[in-house]
Amino acid sequence: MLQKLTQWSRLKSPWILHLNTGACNACDIEVVAALTPRFDVERFGILLEGTPRHADVIICTGPATRQMKDRLIRVYEQTPDPKFVMAVGACAMSGCVYRGAYNIIGGIDQLIPVDVYVPGCPIRPDALIEGVVKLLDKIKKGTK
Amino acid sequence: MNDQVLIDKINEGLKDKVVAITNPAPRRLFLKVTADNLLTVVGWLKHELGITHLSTISGLDLGQSFELLYHFANNCCVLTLRTEIPREQPVLPSICEIIPGAILYERELQDMFGITVQNIPDSRPLLLPDDWPAGNYPLRKDWKYERPPEVIPGGKS
Repeated sequence: MLQKLTQWSRLKSPWILHLNTGACNACDIEVVAALTPRFDVERFGILLEGTPRHADVIICTGPATRQMKDRLIRVYEQTPDPKFVMAVGACAMSGCVYRGAYNIIGGIDQLIPVDVYVPGCPIRPDALIEGVVKLLDKIKKGTK
Repeated sequence: MNDQVLIDKINEGLKDKVVAITNPAPRRLFLKVTADNLLTVVGWLKHELGITHLSTISGLDLGQSFELLYHFANNCCVLTLRTEIPREQPVLPSICEIIPGAILYERELQDMFGITVQNIPDSRPLLLPDDWPAGNYPLRKDWKYERPPEVIPGGKS
């Protein structure tokens, strides 16, 4: 019963943490655009959280930099189970133009498991919403 | 004050301190100085001409030596001091006493080229990651970087 309730509340209101792991800020601006009244993801219950301890979904923008490596893993460990990770933007998926640079490790998936990839450089807010919807579908079906 | 007036003033004030002055384009001046005279020249530019705005320091790997370019912007031209130091002994005096803001650029030089800046007030690394292995200087031409092999989640390629 309680499990059903938590599952229901998780689906109805996923709390997200926006984490910049080394992005150029374009994706961050689009994430903010998705949160503000024009796209207003809060009407779907998606709420931005300031701390990983309260979040269900980590939205990572930007490639994983060498400096960010330990910090990213730490943020991932701080998030309570069950946790989901979205790699947002081309950089977070593979490293994009930064791929192969001396201070870049690669995509987010080189360090932590990723559930949903959202392509785009930068992503559009609609793409981000679509990504969250797909993630929720995945959770609902129980594949994750 | 135009380029020619500035050149005359520098010729008069610095004389043998400056190896060569070139003026390849309007509002662009290059002064070649040796590393020993760098502090004197920067000090003179600051106190006599009031040139205090250091835009940046750029480094250049010439193979046998490093060339450092100090770009000073002022209201009539961009004045660049070029100085060369040998690769075997990359030592440079710090200009932080005269221009305190230069510290960021000098720390970056230490990070990226492995140049030892003498008398620098704060010599911690600036840009490179905390776990960066010592002795690796990314902007040196002979430095090779090997990308660690990527793991594709799920085993697909």
